[in-house]
Amino acid sequence: MAGALAGLRIIEIGEMVSAPYAAKLMADVGADVIKIERPGLGDPARRRGPFVDDQPHPEKSGLFLYLNSNKLGVTLDIANARGFALLERLVQDADVLMHNLAPAEMDRIGLTFERLSKVNPKLVMTSITPFGLDGPHRDYHATNLTLWCAGGACYLNGSPEHPDKPPLAAFGQQAYYQGGAHAAVATMGALLGGLNDGVGQHVEVSVQETVASILEMTFAFWPYIGMIASRLGQKPIQPLDVMECKDGYIFICCIEEHQWHSFVDVMGHPQWAGEEIFQDRLKRAAHWDALRPLLQEWVGEQRVHELYTKALHRKIPFAPVSTMGDLLSAEHLKARGFFVEIAHPEAGTYRYPGAPTKYSVTPWEIRHAAPLLGQHNREVFGERLGLSDAELADLRKSGVI
Amino acid sequence: MTAPPLKGIRVADFSWVWAGPYCTLQLAHLGAEVIRIETARRPCLTRMLPPWADQKIGLNRAGYFNQYNQGKRSMSLNLKHPAAVEVARRLIKKSDIVAHNFVRGVMERFGLGYEQIREFKPDVIMVALSGYGATGPLSSYISYGPAQVPLAGFSALTGYAGGPPMHTALSYADPNAGIHAAFAVLAALYHRRKTGQGQFLDLSLWECATALTVEGLMEKQMSHREPARRGNRDPWMAPHGVFRCRDLPEPIGGGVVDTWVSIAVANDDEWRRLCRAMAQAELGDDARFATAPARKRHEDELEAIITAWTSQRSPQEVTKILQEAGVAAFTCTANKDLAEDPHLNQRGFFVELEHPEIGARKHCGIPWRLSRNECRVQTPAPLLGQHTDEVLTGLLDYSAAEVTDMREAGALN
Repeated sequence: MAGALAGLRIIEIGEMVSAPYAAKLMADVGADVIKIERPGLGDPARRRGPFVDDQPHPEKSGLFLYLNSNKLGVTLDIANARGFALLERLVQDADVLMHNLAPAEMDRIGLTFERLSKVNPKLVMTSITPFGLDGPHRDYHATNLTLWCAGGACYLNGSPEHPDKPPLAAFGQQAYYQGGAHAAVATMGALLGGLNDGVGQHVEVSVQETVASILEMTFAFWPYIGMIASRLGQKPIQPLDVMECKDGYIFICCIEEHQWHSFVDVMGHPQWAGEEIFQDRLKRAAHWDALRPLLQEWVGEQRVHELYTKALHRKIPFAPVSTMGDLLSAEHLKARGFFVEIAHPEAGTYRYPGAPTKYSVTPWEIRHAAPLLGQHNREVFGERLGLSDAELADLRKSGVI
Repeated sequence: MTAPPLKGIRVADFSWVWAGPYCTLQLAHLGAEVIRIETARRPCLTRMLPPWADQKIGLNRAGYFNQYNQGKRSMSLNLKHPAAVEVARRLIKKSDIVAHNFVRGVMERFGLGYEQIREFKPDVIMVALSGYGATGPLSSYISYGPAQVPLAGFSALTGYAGGPPMHTALSYADPNAGIHAAFAVLAALYHRRKTGQGQFLDLSLWECATALTVEGLMEKQMSHREPARRGNRDPWMAPHGVFRCRDLPEPIGGGVVDTWVSIAVANDDEWRRLCRAMAQAELGDDARFATAPARKRHEDELEAIITAWTSQRSPQEVTKILQEAGVAAFTCTANKDLAEDPHLNQRGFFVELEHPEIGARKHCGIPWRLSRNECRVQTPAPLLGQHTDEVLTGLLDYSAAEVTDMREAGALN
């Protein structure tokens, strides 16, 4: 059985995380993805790492290797007229063009939907940009951090005990992952629309808007009650906090009232637990400054795994603070076959995160490792487009591929 | 413009709280008819958390629910009652997709597990989101999005340098699972359009979130160490952080509100632009800061210099100056800033529809645009059970008398 998107052809002009992640989600369930990189340097994710033994090397970047498995890799300078003509030929047979060039870069190259849809009226072109394709901030410079801030997520995180410390971003390039995952959804929407009438379209994704879409209840605090939600304010409910045990950290989490009652039971009904100010989750949030030290005193005497196991059996959703080592050795993830081993000719063999969803019929699978820079130039330009060896040599000499 | 791509697709949505509803919100955005199965006996948690409009508590007044259930319908069913289970079966027969985020076994006990429903709806696509997934030794345990953030590795990696592990504030694992689930449903739908075949989609919040800590997982394997927490700093870029700006007077309490701006410099050219923008061009030639590795070595001094400049200004002013100089910067945006952001308002990102109980309120809208299919939020989030009768009589062919009987029997609570 082939993947759900088997037969779908995607051209990716993606750098770093957002467009590469969107195309990866589709490649891993069967789509055929040709990734276009700049000749010479390639995708900046190749220079990002983490690297094998900390030695920067374009074929040994963990981030690049994760994001680009299952793709064919070619180098092509699309800012060059001959390069753009080759892109148009690739687009002729494609279902999707997925890219994350900034709007100004699109203008400079002349990469427009109008132009490409003339070549292929069925084409779905997906543009992932920091702030969208119009509006006063269209051309604002951005990175993952500034977009996590622009979308309103960063402002919410921090330490009320240390108001002098800045709002704290989540680890990793999460704004870009969200941009990519939302783009994959919107692209699938456009493709399903195309199955109805055979016509393509332009999909636009603003990374800022995707971050603003995942602010939980915090955005509503302004239009609903005129309150600014801040890292220094109280949480809507408690306990929901990281606490230190004897041998590590655990997340104390009681959402439903019965979970709190069970936790009080696990603690052996300390006297303070009967206080009126701790009687429901909203009150526990309002009096968290009083409750936290009382809980910490008890939690500090526990061991992480014992408390986690006890809680699970009582239907209290605590969780250990997993280290990377914990994750890589977690029995449950092993039993589900989550991590997948991928061998790469230069980087070696490592375990990468696997399927974000398990499909009962159509498989999620890794077919091959991420491409070396320009690895499939001959296969794509020669075999698929029919260019001769002499033409390929000339394109290489003039820096087009 | 043509009709939205999922027009005619129906979703029987048994999910609740955030992960599942975020999945079905995407399907509603794409034009699917999403019918949420709720119960007044145990309303969705998001109806029972603040903020409630104008501080008046009410199941239909919660911003959390109203944000993530826009464009959906709601019917109230007491699935402990056999007549309600029969309603659910009839609804599933007329649906294309079934979504839920119960722990393994719950839907089965209602007789609505995947193997059970495919007997009467062979091409159904069922998506199940749960903390631990539908298989494996922990699959019968419950979990919630906030706990999945530390479990998935985010807390070990997120924190101030030298400080303890921290949360991300958001229950990040929830919407992250929701958006990935939506993708899986659409891929499965694409496959069904080509082959007529449905399937079961098993999504674990834990796995879905762990995937996005990949830079940490690879550092552990490739460099043989647990990554250190580093605040807002980056392994390569410097400066890279959130910097204190001028305090604002706080209108009610008479205190001050702190404000912050993010700045990220990717290369030496941008660094020199930043120096000129701060009117300290000479810093651009200072050997301590001339290259990215040098800036990383002197990052404390570097951050102190930048803070001295930003703290005299508002974040909006810093953003404007630095953007004009070609340096990535943006206000560390609060909900109020976001709601008032001229760019987002001009782009029509927000949705303000008249809601029967709370009037028109601003909600975040669809974070993508399709040029041909007309996708927009058509209705505000439903009142609890608002469409029960309509669905029963209009879609499922129950008579008014049958509905009355079911209601009296307690099947529609």
